[in-house]
Amino acid sequence: MSAPAPALAKAPRRTVTVRLADAALTVACLSLVFGFLLVFFPVSFARIIRDSWLHGNLTVAMMVITLSIDACLYVRIAYRLSAKPTVLAAACLGSLPIVVAVGLNFCLQGAVDYTLSGDLPNLQARVGEEILAHTYLGLVSGIFLPFLALRLLQQLKTARSNRETESTSRTAASVSSY
Amino acid sequence: MADWMSLKWLLWISLYLILGVFVPWAASLAWAHQHGSDLRPRPKQLFERGELGLVGLVLGISVIWDLLQSQYMPQTRALGSVLLAVSGTMAGAVWIETYCRHSTGMRCNPERAWRDSCNLAFLVFSLAVVIEILLDRVAKVAAS
Repeated sequence: MSAPAPALAKAPRRTVTVRLADAALTVACLSLVFGFLLVFFPVSFARIIRDSWLHGNLTVAMMVITLSIDACLYVRIAYRLSAKPTVLAAACLGSLPIVVAVGLNFCLQGAVDYTLSGDLPNLQARVGEEILAHTYLGLVSGIFLPFLALRLLQQLKTARSNRETESTSRTAASVSSY
Repeated sequence: MADWMSLKWLLWISLYLILGVFVPWAASLAWAHQHGSDLRPRPKQLFERGELGLVGLVLGISVIWDLLQSQYMPQTRALGSVLLAVSGTMAGAVWIETYCRHSTGMRCNPERAWRDSCNLAFLVFSLAVVIEILLDRVAKVAAS
């Protein structure tokens, strides 16, 4: 049997290397949109978010928004680099936004309970502000933190493979000198 | 519609842009003029090693300080502070990485360092803007 011609052999596609700067730009734009809505619709925007939380839809909405943005961002990076998506990235981007949204929901519940237990004036408005702040921080964390985790994992993986290559070449050098 | 007094954070943030970006650039032009040099650096050349990340880190620290003194509940203060600290640290890390690569003679791409530091500083800047708006709102609620 003859060997396959090198020209016909398919070149392996490199995997997507995420840079935090890509995610940072998207989060910054989302942040400015949130700020714009807060400045120009201070009452109605806050009321929509508060009502959504009261009806129990806020956490689900945050999950959907962060997952969609994360997926779009990752696919865009992969398309731009003409690189292959990895299982590690899919697992990271699929699970972390959900973990962040659920964790922040517990945190918000704690903050609301803490507010209501205090003897403070204007309680309802204070609770509304807590919900608003947590929604914003949740959206930002849900997009930025998965990419941060992915970046750190990729760096760890690269460092490990560099170490392995180095030790292999050192072993080969010592065998040949022997 | 918000009253225009609530836009005072814009003035506060612009102080950082002026003192952190514009003044160093103007100072480099002044130095060139004083020494009769033809040097005319653009901001991109001046901050090509990721120094904008450091500006972002300093901005993040001051907003963390404001957040810690706010009327928010401890959970919210902690969450906001951690998020700002992580973003600020990552912005500062661009400068650290570029410096280390440059010092050890490893391959260093100034174009990438500029882009990364710009994007991460923009992230910290936008976080700072929105958190200052939120702080302004909560201060008004607490005062009423």
